[in-house]
Amino acid sequence: MASPPGLLGQTPVRTKPVLLVWLALSAMWGVTAACGADTVPDFTRDVRPILSHNCFACHGPDEHDRRGGLRLDERTAATAELDSGARAIVPGRPDESLLIARIRETDPDSLMPPPESNHLLSEAQKETLAKWIAAGAPYSPHWAFVIPQQHVPPPIRQTDWPAHWIDAFVLSGLESENLTPAADADPVTLLRRVTFDLTGLPPSPGEVDAYRADTDPDRYEKLIDRLLTSPRHAERLAAWWLDLVRYADTVGYHGDQDHNASPYRDWVIKAFLDNVPFDRFTVLQLAGDLVGPAGGEHPDDPVLASGYNRLLQTTHEGGLQLKEYRAIYQADRIRNVSGVWMGATIGCAQCHDHKYDPYTAKDFHALGAFFADIDDEKHLDKGGFGGKNLNSIPTRREPEMKVVGPFDRDRAAELDARIHSLEAQLPPLVLPPRAQPSEPEPETVVGSRIERDKLQLERAGLARRLMVTKSLEKPRDVRILPRGNWMDETGPLVEPAVPAFLGSVGVNGRPSRADLARWLVSPVTAGGVGEFTARVTANRIWALLFGAGLCRSTGDLGGQGELPDHPELLDRLSLEFMQQGWDLRKLLRTIVTSRAYRMSSSVSDELLARDPDNRLLARQGRWRLPAEGVRDTALFASGLLREQLGGASVHPYQPAGYYKHLNFPQREYPADTDSSQWRRGLYVHWQRMFLHPQLLAFDAPTREECTATRMRSNTPKAALVLLNDPTFVEAARMLAELALLQGGAADDDRIAFLWRRVLSRRPDATELALAKGLLERRRDEFKADPESASKLLAVGIAPLDTTLDPLELAAWTSAARAVLNLHEAIARY
Amino acid sequence: MNDPLSIQRRTFLARAGLSLGGAALSGLLARDGLAAGSPSPASLALAGRASGAVYPLHHPPRAKSVIFLCLAGGPSHLETFDYKPVLAQRDGQDMPESVTAGQPIAQLQGKKLVCLGPRTGFSQRGEGGALVSDLLPKLGGLSHKLAIVRSMVTEQINHDPAHTFMNCGTALSGRPSMGAWVTYGLGSEADDLPGFVVMTSKVGRNPQPIAARQWHSGFLPGQFQGVEFTTSGAPVHYVDNPPGVSAAHQRDLIDTVAALEHHRLGSVADPEIATRVKQYELAFRMQASVPQLADLSDETAETLALYGAEPGKATVGTNCLMARRLVERGVRFVHLYHSDWDHHSGIDSFLQEICPPTDQAAAALLVDLERRGLLDETLVLIGGEFGRTPMGQGNKDGIGRDHHIKGFSMALAGGGIKAGITHGETDDFGYNAIKDIVHVRDLHATMLHLLGIDHGKFTVEYQGLDAKLTGVEPAKPVTAIMA
Repeated sequence: MASPPGLLGQTPVRTKPVLLVWLALSAMWGVTAACGADTVPDFTRDVRPILSHNCFACHGPDEHDRRGGLRLDERTAATAELDSGARAIVPGRPDESLLIARIRETDPDSLMPPPESNHLLSEAQKETLAKWIAAGAPYSPHWAFVIPQQHVPPPIRQTDWPAHWIDAFVLSGLESENLTPAADADPVTLLRRVTFDLTGLPPSPGEVDAYRADTDPDRYEKLIDRLLTSPRHAERLAAWWLDLVRYADTVGYHGDQDHNASPYRDWVIKAFLDNVPFDRFTVLQLAGDLVGPAGGEHPDDPVLASGYNRLLQTTHEGGLQLKEYRAIYQADRIRNVSGVWMGATIGCAQCHDHKYDPYTAKDFHALGAFFADIDDEKHLDKGGFGGKNLNSIPTRREPEMKVVGPFDRDRAAELDARIHSLEAQLPPLVLPPRAQPSEPEPETVVGSRIERDKLQLERAGLARRLMVTKSLEKPRDVRILPRGNWMDETGPLVEPAVPAFLGSVGVNGRPSRADLARWLVSPVTAGGVGEFTARVTANRIWALLFGAGLCRSTGDLGGQGELPDHPELLDRLSLEFMQQGWDLRKLLRTIVTSRAYRMSSSVSDELLARDPDNRLLARQGRWRLPAEGVRDTALFASGLLREQLGGASVHPYQPAGYYKHLNFPQREYPADTDSSQWRRGLYVHWQRMFLHPQLLAFDAPTREECTATRMRSNTPKAALVLLNDPTFVEAARMLAELALLQGGAADDDRIAFLWRRVLSRRPDATELALAKGLLERRRDEFKADPESASKLLAVGIAPLDTTLDPLELAAWTSAARAVLNLHEAIARY
Repeated sequence: MNDPLSIQRRTFLARAGLSLGGAALSGLLARDGLAAGSPSPASLALAGRASGAVYPLHHPPRAKSVIFLCLAGGPSHLETFDYKPVLAQRDGQDMPESVTAGQPIAQLQGKKLVCLGPRTGFSQRGEGGALVSDLLPKLGGLSHKLAIVRSMVTEQINHDPAHTFMNCGTALSGRPSMGAWVTYGLGSEADDLPGFVVMTSKVGRNPQPIAARQWHSGFLPGQFQGVEFTTSGAPVHYVDNPPGVSAAHQRDLIDTVAALEHHRLGSVADPEIATRVKQYELAFRMQASVPQLADLSDETAETLALYGAEPGKATVGTNCLMARRLVERGVRFVHLYHSDWDHHSGIDSFLQEICPPTDQAAAALLVDLERRGLLDETLVLIGGEFGRTPMGQGNKDGIGRDHHIKGFSMALAGGGIKAGITHGETDDFGYNAIKDIVHVRDLHATMLHLLGIDHGKFTVEYQGLDAKLTGVEPAKPVTAIMA
């Protein structure tokens, strides 16, 4: 067998055809795996993880730190004669292979991996390696670097189960394990699930009733279409995307001043609302400034989108070193672009070649060179910019531009027209000569002037500043920094290039960010890595809908990432996504209309024991809502939620003094005093150094780095937020008000009202009794202590309905708090 | 996370987490231990409170809790623990280029580099007889309790990244801080308090900002995040009941929620529900215990005076006293930030202002811990994110010193520390550490070692790496400063 390039070749072949070779090769590999699955350990599934985890750090891609001249991640090198004359791997002959001898050593000085590495091979792992060598030590490329293929859905027995092809892949896996898929979720659970998943909010009681009453066999499909085209859905997807691109409202270092980014956030929402194809979505963010608007796009869109390049953490701390921060900013951008679009940890190659993946330190710096044209260091150069407006809120991070957000455009146009027409009617304002009394203007003119001024004020308020991307005339020089050391300028200069083993962007002259972006979303046949980008993205979309990706390590599809549980399904999903126009909405629709998505998330003890992580997908997932969902659900149920697309970030109640450690300047938290208080979590001011404690308690990331998967902790801090944060106390009071006003007259009806608003279902008898017990005890308490009732009702700025009996309202507020604190209220089943 | 054994173990953990609540779980986790490999973040989420991920410990511990008094801003080693007579002689002369060539420099970039002699006297202090400055008479008087390290080095010259480096072992964002690591590794012995507590104080002026990143749990689960205690207002965010809600009311509410959850568990066997009930119970206990902890009225007047503590005021004295109360109650890691040590100018007056209360509080902490029998089991670290240049900055009246990373000092005391020694040296100028250099990573390795943890074995898989507090570069515990 000819030595394949890339992972397998002796030296990576740095030309474009690499991927094509892999395509052919991976087809062969598929055959091999199918033939010998029972007896021969599969390289990808069984062998590579052992080698990668235990050996590659010293015997892998990093040639600078390779021990004993041995390289195990390529077959040619691994089977070659070493300086000692021995061969680590002699295909077919485990007993002659030094690797086997060394892993079976009893002398700790000779044992591999060495004891000080803290890696210890099990007997089973040693046996796997021996069997694999005995079978000829066949290698195959790392799955994530093999081009996704168009797999035909496998044959299945239970042919009436699948709704479409996704289900065939899932069911086939289950059948081979002698499992059956879970029953369909009941309609209301499904409605609640899909509404949470697609919009981040629960369904209203009215929506639940309408859905139950709808006898149309296509009611689910109709629901999906409605949800997918809703503004709420765009907001939900934006929250996902903003985690990846590390969108925040502050600079993140030192003084953590506010910076001007919110119009970019609004552009993301608008792009999801318009279902901008993901390839265009990519190009606009990385290079909107270079490519300009396409047909149908607003002329400002590329500028807004290019705000992406400015989202990194920045600083203007006194005494910083310009060259150091150039290196830090470059590394930040590399980590992000590779994390977001490639699912790769290229950041690891900042100081040395990657230990597990074929990314070299040169690849790292060459990728950074794509961003060397971005003009963004005026704030680092105190001499040039004079430090003006830096220690201010917001700070200035030139270049900036005043822009109108995508959701304010209509209003801006309307205002412009009205101002224009008013001005056309106004006589020119002539300044009278000094000391001569002026003729008073007619009242209508004065009125018009006042009106014009008012409109101009509103118009001015619609323009927000945004950090934008502008190219320098001459890009900064980018050198390979030896060991990542910014003070060492002995390394060679590099031009922009994509990681060599992935080919090249294939343009003449210096490639640009636009070339990089197009490479990311062009199919392999067109010289790009679109199929791979599609796989990274489709996997993450799957995770939004099932709770975990088909490949669990959504942030790392490299050699140390996890193997996908359903690789063929993931491949197919990726190709469908790319080939059908990078249509995210269609991808989402395909997944949520599968039967697999609609399964119940209930699980038997037996299945839980067999498949605790739900890798086989014999059921749906269940999990706590993301931080924004926890907030939004309480606001929605209470009727407080103010829905408005886009705008400046908002400031919900926050504990006093939470920002006391911030300085340059010192600052007070400007809690909102109007209905901005009740906007969705998506719009909450994202202070990187002190993220709002309500969001932090539910694992929202600080967005200093790309976050592909949020953790889901369950802590006392989260309990304290739900119990005591004024946002939730106020929501409980407003929910109680609604119950008293709209929930009927009887306690039972009102309790049912609370349940329906928060949980989308009615309480059962036990729940009714428990809630009534609490209600009655609180009534007694507040009767005896009316002052406490007044204090409780005074929480929050929402006006109190004074027509209601305060004692009764306070007691009901307590009942509402109970419902809002249930796990079910913040969980998706 | 690819070896079958660890996958098996993780599966087991995940299962355990799905079927048991936190308390029982911690026992399981503890038995499972970490030695065989790195758990995944998913299984980490299950780590319990009462015992940690490292079980059994790698070796017998010498300390069980840590108090880090961080003098934030970068205290001058040259006016505290590192006496430089040669620098005094050279005061006003040019700094030899041979010393500074090729070194990173902060605000003095491009400026003339002139030696600035020590701005205070030094004398041999305490039974240990270490040379300590006149600004720290009380702490110096306890030199027989201290190991003074004069050869610290770090890698970051600006405050924000330098703190991150000191706390997280890397300047990259998103990594766990040492308090999170330690609490994750050892768990907490307090059942009604968080295992990792942060408190801050400052003196007057306009101190450098501090980021919550410094006590974030990074890729470790959220329960290992440091919890900030404050000395005024609610001691912990959201720990106070809402206005008008009595303790009995809140108890009734939580009991009702628990009853509803238990009922729900009957039809929906979701173990997260059971876990949440436990977290609510813990939250309620915290609501009771935190105010009690913060109430200093049970301390004697003598103790308050010893620390210079002022109940209700966030002074270094109050916070040091709180630190003692916290470790007394089983809190694992107490991180005190005492800000305003960034003396680019006016170093004389600012040191006069900040040193006395710090000196008093730090000395009181050691004395008080010892008389309560806690010093032996508590590791106390005193120092900043870096030191200050031997070169002066600013004019002669308001002169100060710039950031300095190539040599600075820290003082250690308590559990497992060899008392009454000094360790390491800087050159005659106090510029470069030249003997027995202690890198920040070595400090981390030493701390973990004293807690019973081998830093090299204490790993968590993150982005394909066995991530460690000490990072990927070599690190070693400093045996010379261990008892």
